[in-house]
Amino acid sequence: MGSISLNNINKSFGSTEVLKNINLDIADGEFLILIGPSGCGKSTLMNLIAGLEDLNSGEIIIDGLNVSDESPKDRDIAMVFQSYALYPTMNVARNICFGLEMNKVPKSEQESILKRVSELLQIDHLLDRKPGQLSGGQRQRVAMGRALARSPKVFLFDEPLSNLDAKLRVEMRTEIKKLHKRIGTTMVYVTHDQIEAMTLADRIAVLKDGELQQIGTPYEIYNDPVSHFVADFMGSPGMNFIECIVKDENLIIESGGKKYEILIPCKDALNKSNLDVVLLGIRPEMLTEVQPSTVGNKFIQKVKFDVEVIEPMGADTVAIGQWNETEVMVRLSPESGNSAGNGFDLQVDTSKAILFDPSSGLRLR
Amino acid sequence: MTSLKLTKYNIGRAFIYLILLFFAFLYLAPLYVMFTTSLKDIEEIRSGNLMALPIDPTFYAWKKAWSSACTGSECNGLAPYFWNSVRIVVPAVIISTIVGAFNGYVLAKWKFKGSEFLFGALLFGCFIPFQVILLPMAKLLGMLGLANTVTGLVLVHVIYGVAFTTLFFRNYYVGIPTELVRAAKLDGAGFFAIFRHVFIPLSAPIFVVTIIWQFTQIWNDFLFGVVYSGSGTQPITVALNNLVNTSVGGKEYNVDMAAAIIAALPTLAVYVIAGKYFVRGLTAGAVKG
Repeated sequence: MGSISLNNINKSFGSTEVLKNINLDIADGEFLILIGPSGCGKSTLMNLIAGLEDLNSGEIIIDGLNVSDESPKDRDIAMVFQSYALYPTMNVARNICFGLEMNKVPKSEQESILKRVSELLQIDHLLDRKPGQLSGGQRQRVAMGRALARSPKVFLFDEPLSNLDAKLRVEMRTEIKKLHKRIGTTMVYVTHDQIEAMTLADRIAVLKDGELQQIGTPYEIYNDPVSHFVADFMGSPGMNFIECIVKDENLIIESGGKKYEILIPCKDALNKSNLDVVLLGIRPEMLTEVQPSTVGNKFIQKVKFDVEVIEPMGADTVAIGQWNETEVMVRLSPESGNSAGNGFDLQVDTSKAILFDPSSGLRLR
Repeated sequence: MTSLKLTKYNIGRAFIYLILLFFAFLYLAPLYVMFTTSLKDIEEIRSGNLMALPIDPTFYAWKKAWSSACTGSECNGLAPYFWNSVRIVVPAVIISTIVGAFNGYVLAKWKFKGSEFLFGALLFGCFIPFQVILLPMAKLLGMLGLANTVTGLVLVHVIYGVAFTTLFFRNYYVGIPTELVRAAKLDGAGFFAIFRHVFIPLSAPIFVVTIIWQFTQIWNDFLFGVVYSGSGTQPITVALNNLVNTSVGGKEYNVDMAAAIIAALPTLAVYVIAGKYFVRGLTAGAVKG
């Protein structure tokens, strides 16, 4: 129905290369997230799929058909824009039906589609209003309604939630996920919000400077990143990166005024790399107060930790201190009773720790 | 409200209002003189005070100016020339506004190689003085067989006006988000459908601005009118000039004044009716979605 293949996509604006040799296959019904920092080319890639920009080279295949030279209207694609791009002079009903009107769908059919879509999105009481009379969340729904009305092969979302306030964003996120479950159409979704990416995606594609860094399930991207960049981008609070000297297959860490030799799981990679100094990547949730239940795991070690700053987040508390003169964030239970300026015993679980080459930023495997 | 006190603030206010009143009076004085003079008969003008109200108001001068005053050798008043002006202004305003809207749409939202240069070149047209193009334009009109015709004058005004109307519409449309165009493209709308269904409905304020601007410019034009018209196709401005300069017997100031007001009435009317949209349209930058 709506599979997409992007083959060797290149795009440049003048002399700036925006996308470099992108290859990506999206299965029918898949929810794919394109994520990356601003300027990485993710929106350009989306515009290329939609046909709003022209390719420099490569081909785009939708549902087995090469649509590289087709105009947007012949690609059977619907898009939800960041600014919603609702037609300001048309009421909600006409906004939703405009695409049908342009495609000469009979009036009676338009009406039944309008009814179905507006009920699905709970906007049936707003049909006579102009976009200017709607709240942000309502506009968002209308924009989705406009996309849904045409039952396209593929939905494109260009940072659709970034103009909403935090609470509404979480609500709409859930709603988009439900919607995808319900209609099962292929969705490509651009965002720079890693939480959106983790929660919505079947697969995530991470872009940086116009190059595809990694494609994988949210679990793979989070736990098995290919580079420092990907590891750094996903997770909040972010992964800790500490430069460590290697000694006898262990890493030296200075914490709370003492030196420790830390045992790590990925020894083969470490030996293979022949590096004297490596970048240790460890997520804050692997650094906790001592938990008696986890005995018997050889990667669990204890170090002294001096807390400089405490940031309570409600469900848990982030404490910030130093390892090897680098800031380290650890995740504590709010009941742990630690306070800034105090030291305590920190439990370090290195079973999911990963190593990077400090100069190239690539993962040591 | 507290009672009015003679504070420093109030004295300052009073001073400001006094100055404003003075200048308002200064600006309105000529209109007052024109209007009162047009209602006096010639005896009263000769003997009376310029600023005095008419003792026995009469519309004689207005009637004469409209239907029987002499403009050169003919004595049919301004009426035929008034209709000439209408026949020039209406098509010229409509055509130049539509062309400008279309140009502006293309230059703002369908940029092509060289479109910025083209826009710059068009802008240049706003700065060319009328006098510079008199001769080449006369030659062109002659070649087209449109010399001394109303159609010829319409053509001149359209060509001259397109530079301004394009500028207005282009700058207005630049403020409309391009995402609207993209959304409409994905909805299956083409070049003309997007213009018609998305842009035109958004354009009411800029249409008003452009129409007022063009109407005033073309109605008030004298130079093109005097150069490119023949006998019988002259616009009202030229006729007014002829009327004032034709002296059969003594100078009839009351008729001159009435004629001048008649010539100025349509532009005044347009501004009074649509003026608030004019100001609004000029300042309307963002279109909120």
